[in-house]
Amino acid sequence: MAEPLIEARKLTKRYGEFVAVDGIEFTVARGETFGFLGPNGAGKSSTMRMIGAVSPASDGTLRVLGLDPDRDGPAIRQRLGVVPQEDNLDQELDVGENLQVYGRFFGLPRDEIRRRIDELLEFVQLSDRREARVDSLSGGMKRRLTIARALVNEPELILLDEPTTGLDPQARHALWDRLYRLKQRGVTLVLTTHYMDEAEQLCDRLVIMDRAKIVAEGSPRELIERFVEREVVELRFGEGDAAPSLDGLAGHVEVLQDRVVIGTDDGDMVVDALHARGLHPETILVRRATLEDVFLRLTGRRLID
Amino acid sequence: MGAARRTFAVVGWQARSFRRVWRGSITVSFLNPIFFLLSIGVLLGSLIDDSQPDLGGLSYVQFVAPALLATTAMQTAASVTTFPVRAGFKWLRTYHAAVSTPVRVPELVAGILTWCGIRVIMAVTIFAAIAAIGGAFVSPLAVLAPFAALLCGLAFGAALAAVTTSVDGDEWLAAVFRFGLVPLFLFSGTFFPISQLPAVLQALAWATPLWHGVALCRSLATGDVELGPSVVHVAYLVTLTAVGTLMTVRAQQRRLLR
Repeated sequence: MAEPLIEARKLTKRYGEFVAVDGIEFTVARGETFGFLGPNGAGKSSTMRMIGAVSPASDGTLRVLGLDPDRDGPAIRQRLGVVPQEDNLDQELDVGENLQVYGRFFGLPRDEIRRRIDELLEFVQLSDRREARVDSLSGGMKRRLTIARALVNEPELILLDEPTTGLDPQARHALWDRLYRLKQRGVTLVLTTHYMDEAEQLCDRLVIMDRAKIVAEGSPRELIERFVEREVVELRFGEGDAAPSLDGLAGHVEVLQDRVVIGTDDGDMVVDALHARGLHPETILVRRATLEDVFLRLTGRRLID
Repeated sequence: MGAARRTFAVVGWQARSFRRVWRGSITVSFLNPIFFLLSIGVLLGSLIDDSQPDLGGLSYVQFVAPALLATTAMQTAASVTTFPVRAGFKWLRTYHAAVSTPVRVPELVAGILTWCGIRVIMAVTIFAAIAAIGGAFVSPLAVLAPFAALLCGLAFGAALAAVTTSVDGDEWLAAVFRFGLVPLFLFSGTFFPISQLPAVLQALAWATPLWHGVALCRSLATGDVELGPSVVHVAYLVTLTAVGTLMTVRAQQRRLLR
């Protein structure tokens, strides 16, 4: 088997007393899209920064592209594309200049960068904005420019930290489409997200992180099959209604603040059973189980509160 | 080899940004020094008796002009390594972008301080040319004065970058100008010989980098160069540059590589 692109053993990051990442282990293979799913503060970004060789690990071992980030940081970063959580484009420069300047950091010749800028702006659909100032771009355009910037050195591995947080649905889909194309080209993508739909759309494999630890690992489908039933029935009861007894229902019942979630292999049967008991919730929704349900089952909390 | 190339890539980045915003630097680096030269040096100076022994046989404008060379260097350097540096690691986070490439923190800092030096030498050369045309320099050694001012600018650039990177609150930055640079500008032998100060303040002036810059520039502009003091001035400014650079690197590493 080929050497994994990233390999972490007992990887730990501490800030003083605070443990941001607590002995996590994972491997990422070449060509796969790997995700870190978890709520804010779970340790996803700290992990990404360690992989990006801009944050020394406090403990454990990490190999990125077969190299040690502590020793070979520049060599790793030479082959990496990074899309950070917060936009850090140069607002004083225009779109093309941002790519030009960044390309120079990788030691690329000017002509070569100029050639790549054409392709990259085409790829992220910003060709007509080449001379636009960065601060005139929308959030979605800025994020696409950041992706173009991350591609300027033709990286083998791209790190995306919450790539679509703060974007409207249309911009998110446009971005997913671009990422999907990169994936088809065989680029390895590692991303963090707290959106389960993003993880399901993009990731071949993912780990779920909670409170600095990995709580589960697998493909989205595997995780759903392993940890939850196929379907979910969501019930909302009117305000002030006595919590009805749901004992003995065929399914996994979870009573949340605003609703009741029942995991089951047959949603319709649960609904029939409810009616047979004379229960009439205000709303009933039967849906396919998602990673959010996996997260809820594993941690007792929702991803986004 | 790679380190030098990446450092120059950072210099190129700074230069490209400057092409967009150079107009904003005209006041600090060009107009202000000329205004001071005219208002204080020429106009106020016309009221000052040239036979004052403290002026050492110079006209007042000849006394002030070389000092303004040093203060121009200080203020230009401050405009490069205070607010823009803070923006780089904190407000706009462009330094974070730079160090996620092969660029290392020492290369980033070296590039920024090199750019600071380029800005200083541009500003002081323009000022020196105008002052020379106006007859404000008496010795041919004055052609070396811009390089003395460059040393002064680098010392301030490095020291201020270190302070800007190290302090936590943004309000400290305004305090650096108000309580640091403005008093230095006024009391470092710029507009009057520090022999006029009480002994305690005189000793304080000797300890400040601007006084060394002023004294060095003035000695070259007037041709009154003495080896001993010149070596002390240069050594002081070079040391401050080196210490400031190292401290900036350390502080930026803490900021950028957490």
